[in-house]
Amino acid sequence: MNTREWALIIFTTLAQLAVGMLFVLLIVRSYASRVLGADKAAAWTNTPLYSVPVIMIAALIASLFHLGKVMNVIGAVPNLATSWMSREVVCSVTFTVLTVLFAFFEWRKIGSAALRIGLAWLAVVVGAVLLVSMSATYMLPAQPAWNTPATPINFFVASLLLGILGSAAGLVATAKSQAEEAGVQDALKVVLKSCALAAVLLLGIELLILPMYIAYLSTQGLAAIRSIYLMATEYGALLFLRLLLVFIGAGVLAFYLYQKASVAGGEKSFGTLAYTAFALVFISELLGRVLFYATHYRIGV
Amino acid sequence: MAKQLGFFVDINKCTGCKACQVACKDKNDLPTGIRWRRVFQYEGGQWVNQGSSVIPSDVYAYPVSAACMHCQNAVCTQVCPSGAMYKREDGIVQVDANKCIGCRYCSWACPYGAPQFNESLGVMTKCNMCVDLVDKGQRPACVEACPYRALDFGAVDELQAAHGNFNAPAPLPDPNITNPSVVYNPNKVTKFTGDTSGHIMNLEEL
Amino acid sequence: MTEPNFLAKALTETAITRRSFLKWSAALGGTAALAGGMNYGLKAVKEAAAQSVEELKTVGCYHNCGGRCILGAVVKDGTVVRLVPDPTPKSEENLDSNPRAIPCLRGRSQIHRVYAPERLKYPMKRVGKRGEGKFERISWDEALNTIADQMKRIKDKYGNEAFYYQYASGSNWNGPDSGNAVTRLLAMFGGFVNMYGSYSEAAYGQIIGFSTSGYSGNSADDIPNAKLVVLIGDNSVVTRAGGDNAGYWVMKAANQGTKFIIIDPIMTDTVMATQAQWVPINGGTDVALLAAMAHVMIKENLYDKEFMATHAVGFDEDTLPEGAPANSSWVSYVMGRGPDGIEKTPEWASPITGIPAETIASLARQIATTKPCAIYQNWGVQRRAYGEQIVRTVPIIAAMTGNFGISGGNSGNVMNGGYFPMSGIPVPENPVKASIPCFLWPDFVSRGEQMTSALEEGGVRGVDKLSTGMKFMWNHAGNMIINQHADVNLTTKILQDESKLEFIVTSEVAMTPSCKFSDILLPETTGFEADEIITGEGHGMKGNHAWALYNHQIIQPLYECKGIMWAAGQLADRLGFGDQFRDGHQTSDDWMKDMVATAQQAIPDFPSLDDFKKTGIYKISNPEPIIAFADFRADPVAHPLQTETGKLEIYSPALAKLNNPKEIPAIPMYIPEWEGVSDPLREKYPLMMMTTHFVARSHSTFENVDYLREAHPQALWINVRDAEQRGIKNGDMIKVYNDRGEVHLPAYVTNRIRPGVTNMPQGAWYSLDANGVDVRGCGNVLTNYRPTPYARGCTAHTNLVQVEKL
Repeated sequence: MNTREWALIIFTTLAQLAVGMLFVLLIVRSYASRVLGADKAAAWTNTPLYSVPVIMIAALIASLFHLGKVMNVIGAVPNLATSWMSREVVCSVTFTVLTVLFAFFEWRKIGSAALRIGLAWLAVVVGAVLLVSMSATYMLPAQPAWNTPATPINFFVASLLLGILGSAAGLVATAKSQAEEAGVQDALKVVLKSCALAAVLLLGIELLILPMYIAYLSTQGLAAIRSIYLMATEYGALLFLRLLLVFIGAGVLAFYLYQKASVAGGEKSFGTLAYTAFALVFISELLGRVLFYATHYRIGV
Repeated sequence: MAKQLGFFVDINKCTGCKACQVACKDKNDLPTGIRWRRVFQYEGGQWVNQGSSVIPSDVYAYPVSAACMHCQNAVCTQVCPSGAMYKREDGIVQVDANKCIGCRYCSWACPYGAPQFNESLGVMTKCNMCVDLVDKGQRPACVEACPYRALDFGAVDELQAAHGNFNAPAPLPDPNITNPSVVYNPNKVTKFTGDTSGHIMNLEEL
Repeated sequence: MTEPNFLAKALTETAITRRSFLKWSAALGGTAALAGGMNYGLKAVKEAAAQSVEELKTVGCYHNCGGRCILGAVVKDGTVVRLVPDPTPKSEENLDSNPRAIPCLRGRSQIHRVYAPERLKYPMKRVGKRGEGKFERISWDEALNTIADQMKRIKDKYGNEAFYYQYASGSNWNGPDSGNAVTRLLAMFGGFVNMYGSYSEAAYGQIIGFSTSGYSGNSADDIPNAKLVVLIGDNSVVTRAGGDNAGYWVMKAANQGTKFIIIDPIMTDTVMATQAQWVPINGGTDVALLAAMAHVMIKENLYDKEFMATHAVGFDEDTLPEGAPANSSWVSYVMGRGPDGIEKTPEWASPITGIPAETIASLARQIATTKPCAIYQNWGVQRRAYGEQIVRTVPIIAAMTGNFGISGGNSGNVMNGGYFPMSGIPVPENPVKASIPCFLWPDFVSRGEQMTSALEEGGVRGVDKLSTGMKFMWNHAGNMIINQHADVNLTTKILQDESKLEFIVTSEVAMTPSCKFSDILLPETTGFEADEIITGEGHGMKGNHAWALYNHQIIQPLYECKGIMWAAGQLADRLGFGDQFRDGHQTSDDWMKDMVATAQQAIPDFPSLDDFKKTGIYKISNPEPIIAFADFRADPVAHPLQTETGKLEIYSPALAKLNNPKEIPAIPMYIPEWEGVSDPLREKYPLMMMTTHFVARSHSTFENVDYLREAHPQALWINVRDAEQRGIKNGDMIKVYNDRGEVHLPAYVTNRIRPGVTNMPQGAWYSLDANGVDVRGCGNVLTNYRPTPYARGCTAHTNLVQVEKL
């Protein structure tokens, strides 16, 4: 693996986290607005929402380290007509701009609440297109390990899983400062239970995809088989570690989180469980991305 | 519209010496590690016992000299986000170093390994068929270099008319991906793309 | 993604990029560039680039592959932009008789050879032990004074028989900067011990006189006239690779559909490219194969009886010369009536050669019945323990099959070619008459006083015995001191005893392993840095054409580099015979005018020196190939061979007189080799190892060139089966060793070499790691310093080794 691909590992993972978080937080916001009222909902969810553009800007900065000649990025004419990477870049920038605008308007209370939330949902749509472009970028005929439906599925699942656990962690953190606000803790419990259930479900998908992916690859010629070989040998330990971490984070800890959210007095474990679950899954997804870049094998010469 | 240009490689005449590769590097002043033209050594077969002797059975070897194929369906130009990789009217594919952002995406997409990243310049580089010479009516350095006259270049349709349209010797990839502008004249042991009886032997390709 | 491999990594660490180097040296000139720094240089170049014009100037590739091909240098503002092949217009190229001399990959890398980081920059003197590589920069004055003082001291103490001019081949100018500058100096100084033979073809050159007498067979351009071509130990497309050289004619024949049979333990690039029938023989058993083929031909009556009766001596009992014992003829040997009583059947030869008996029989029938059939040997087959035997056997088969002296056939000799009639720098007669086999120079160092004219005591010629050991050696453009001579570790010991060989001067362009064993180093100019003339006849294997080339100086000499003619003249001044040495030649042009005059004597319309400089190239060709011994074939009485008997000597009365039937028999015989296929030592060292010529080098010249190291990494060729037994995969690092030494290098695991045989291509620069192990793949760490019986020549292909994965 080329060392410059670390930039892409960080970029894709952070961007997926940002898109997923925005999506999840907007749903939570709409739920919270119903049960807590708009102001309380905003106070609870805004800090995590503000982190979305920050994460995305970090992702963009990371992506620059992948480039050999950053100076040429300025004024480069994007090749939107045929290049998925070009589309990926445009979507990333648009998503970033929209989330920055949303955050700024929300902070300064510019425009109506509906307009601001509408802007955020527009960003989610762009984010979804970003995930599609990002997947399509890697689905090259010359790259059998990437050119499978597993790529978009994995990217979307990762985005949701990271978004859910990232949101959960963020909401737990802001809920602490809102402890005196009536209803926030109850809403948090509902949200955490939903998040935990969704995480387990997504974990199931991730674990299901892997054997299907390997089975599919084994039919895709020499370069694909070399990829499997690499995953099984040189990167076998890494693959195992990734699976272990995501299993603990999205499985075991999410299960405990669900349990704690279901019983009275479980609140004091929320922080530990939510932060650890997110951290483990984040690391697991980073490792997964390392594998993604390390084991692809181009066909040909 | 000018005619699509391409290379012709006569495997019957090639000895695998790599004068083409070295001449290319000399002409284009390429650093070590970047080889716009490469010569793959493809080999297969085995040794078997026959009576008290050990003899070669179907042991074969042949060289495949390959540079950029200046493909009709140049995936490198399609995936390039900045438009730096482009195809001239005569079909020569080249990089505009003033536009290239060095994302190396083209090198993921090209099954011929033609675009190669120059670390010190920060941009992709590749065979441009010695476009400066071609524009002056001369031949590319590799073609000119072959002591055995195994290489040629010209309009692909003319090369095909003269030499047939075989463009898929193993270990090169399936030509359907990019529709390469190249003609190979196979020798009698040349295998077809997708062949699994042999291996690329070059130590520098490991 | 693949990581750049180990080699690329190693190379990027040491490489300097050429164009940046060129820019500073152009802007600042030679040595100033190093002090000046890069920024200033680049700025100056940018300013100069505005008014730049490209020029094309002819330069030569001047090393010892024999090709000496023609390059055009594209020069801009005093820098070399790039090289182009032989700029002779295509309209003047005749692909049937006079193709362009397009250089191979080696020639194409000349720019990187000239600007290699290993270039010698200043005169230096050794300060460490010989071989340690510790040197101190000195001035030209000090270097020349030291050499002159040592020459006088050694002459006074030991006499001129203590002086030796080392065998070397890195630089082959006709002049002015030819090695003759040094031999001229030494001859005028009172002389030096001569050498005979060569490392390339000692056995061939010394023994062929007892067979066909003429050195060469048909010219290479006759090969396309054959119906079947049989090559024995010949890899022309690699070793004669230039665009007008033997490889060209071989490929021309192959491309027109001529069938090739190639007898070689390796599926060489020539086997591959000609799509030949490969006969993967055990090294050193070629005579057994040919004897068994002769057996089939005799038994099945498939040979030219009349020719053998009228043109050969000793084929059968009827043609044995007077005094030869009964049953000493070739037929007796082959049919089992000779002293050994063994019938040389295919079944006999099969276990020796590794070739199935039925294959041997079918080869014999093919070769005997396809007419015409061109059978050529080349030197690769005779750099072996008993190299003389195969040399004399091949012409027998050529004669038996009716191919001796005909077009499309061949006499079994090596290929022939044109010759260019231009002389080089004249050397006066050497007052010292003694001559040694060049391979035995270490004996001259370690036990010179005991070397006599007896073959086993040194084979000295010209005198009965030497009066002293070697005390002074001049090594010009050579790597024979350590790298290219057998048994590096033994040579190291001999050279490190400074009481024996007291003084070694090396004049060179780069810090070779041999430089490290020298006492004074003189930095030489390359072809880019001086005006020179070279003639291209490629050891006479080019086909029936030749040419003279004017090599233009295209850059200023780098650093403090000087030409050898200047250095020799300076020494002559210090030794008191400068005027005699120069003989009125003050400049390079003065010498070259003389050389041009010799060409004009033979070719009246050869241009003047000034005109020759403008055209750069002068080619001659003959559309008719040379057919060796055609007149002898037509009338053996009127046109006898130059042998003792005037005929093809299968039985040599002269060799019989040597009375060494076991190792120098009167008729050629299969002699099992020491360290060969049947040596019991194989229990300890089971793998035979050859050290063939390599596509990326001319001997050890070019070995340090980054482009070539990248294109063709050094490795040990080993068969898949042998590698599997040892757990070795393609590219793995391995250890190759025997009692003489140990080498670490990558393995090239291939089907293209027969099991039991390995090959470490010769010429890699001996380079020790911290543990004192060569890690660059110098095969001579493992080769034998054991000469062939008659020629006392090099046996570099006969070795036994063991291989292990590291």
